[in-house]
Amino acid sequence: MAETEKPAGPPATLIDPIEMSKLDPKFREEIHSMPNGEELSACFACSTCTAACPIANIWEYKPHQLIRMILLGMREEVLSSSEIWLCLTCFQCQERCPQKVRVTDIFFDCKNLAAKEGKVPPNIVGLGKELLEKGQLYTVTADWEREDMGLEPDVPGLAVDPVKEILKETQTKKLVEGGE
Amino acid sequence: MPMYNLYMGCSVPANYPNYEAAMIKVAEAYDIQLEYMEGVACCGSPNLRAIDYLGWLTVNARTLAIAEKNGHDIVTPCNGCFGSLKDVYHFLKHDADYKKKVNAILKKEDLEFKGTITPRHFVEVLYTDIGIKELKKKITKPLDGVGIAIHYGCHLLRPADVTEFRPEYLNELIEVTGASVVEYPLWKQCCGATVLPVDENLGIRLARDKLKSMKESGAVFVTVVCPACGNQLDLQQLGLKESYGEEYNLPVLLYPQILGLALGMDEDEIGLSMNRVPADPILDHLTG
Repeated sequence: MAETEKPAGPPATLIDPIEMSKLDPKFREEIHSMPNGEELSACFACSTCTAACPIANIWEYKPHQLIRMILLGMREEVLSSSEIWLCLTCFQCQERCPQKVRVTDIFFDCKNLAAKEGKVPPNIVGLGKELLEKGQLYTVTADWEREDMGLEPDVPGLAVDPVKEILKETQTKKLVEGGE
Repeated sequence: MPMYNLYMGCSVPANYPNYEAAMIKVAEAYDIQLEYMEGVACCGSPNLRAIDYLGWLTVNARTLAIAEKNGHDIVTPCNGCFGSLKDVYHFLKHDADYKKKVNAILKKEDLEFKGTITPRHFVEVLYTDIGIKELKKKITKPLDGVGIAIHYGCHLLRPADVTEFRPEYLNELIEVTGASVVEYPLWKQCCGATVLPVDENLGIRLARDKLKSMKESGAVFVTVVCPACGNQLDLQQLGLKESYGEEYNLPVLLYPQILGLALGMDEDEIGLSMNRVPADPILDHLTG
């Protein structure tokens, strides 16, 4: 039969072996010490998080694999992955974890580490810029609509400067300036 | 008369003045006193949390600290603001190191986060502080026979240990108006709003899945309690008509609009003409 004459490629299930020398053994400690990372090492890879995720089907690295990758020390792969930014933050994975691993919160930690290295999708940097420069994400443009509803045209009590001041001192400014 | 600090955030005042007005009118009907907070702006949303954890904590701790000065709980109509404030409140209550860091920044404004007041969603205040029994007393135009699918919104429900909101609260709030709750398979699923800046098509696909699930389960209306979810389910229906040729014709009402109708308010009072998918069928039903 013709099929058997084809050179045998690797079976479809075989994945690239993990390059041990590139692992960063400190990565798990790093995440462990970040907000809500304490339960990280309780993961027993049951993949309930992946079953709960509404978009895991389009992820190359599934949620349970990302957690495993953190534990193994695959820092570069995790922090460069598009998956952490596609996370809907719907918390379905975290809610269902039988080991109480705060999966969504841990992805937030990963995003913060990625942000320190400037690995952030441009539109998210844009939102950071918006917050830094305007102190809010949405500004009232149709004030007549507010007046139609009997509301004051300007939002009562609104003060955007304090938000701008805070974000000048924190990571947002560094990220926005680094991108320019 | 219970009194609260009203925290609007940025999305509702800019995009949903009808939500803001309907909430205020409903509050007046039940003698709930809402005072706009002085000197506050945006909560930063999950996007700020993703890139700048300390900044996000500080911005929200600042809002909480301002409310602590007058001692009243914060009330917000937005799931995004609610999620941020609740999460920060919960986290700083348990993390002394970050609390110290945040308060060091807030000290410049002579503010301090202590954790003495609770951030709350407007619908949770209706449920807990007013209660279904009292709410029912003022219903004059029950929405009998109207099937409503509830989109709770992720950040209202989860993480449950942080938000402390049960889906039953909103079910009962719908049922007290006389309407019935339509169950649908994807009731827990995300509307897709948060992923729009990174992958717009994915965000639209999620909204579409959700609308389909509601429609197929026999919903006639949808209710939401968040401006971001509202945009996804209401506005995106117009886009889906254009790009997929699909028509759902599911009017999406903010919860105070639904309660407002049951309280006998007219359509102008609750700004029904600002909803993108025409809500005429509900009015026909009420007058018919």
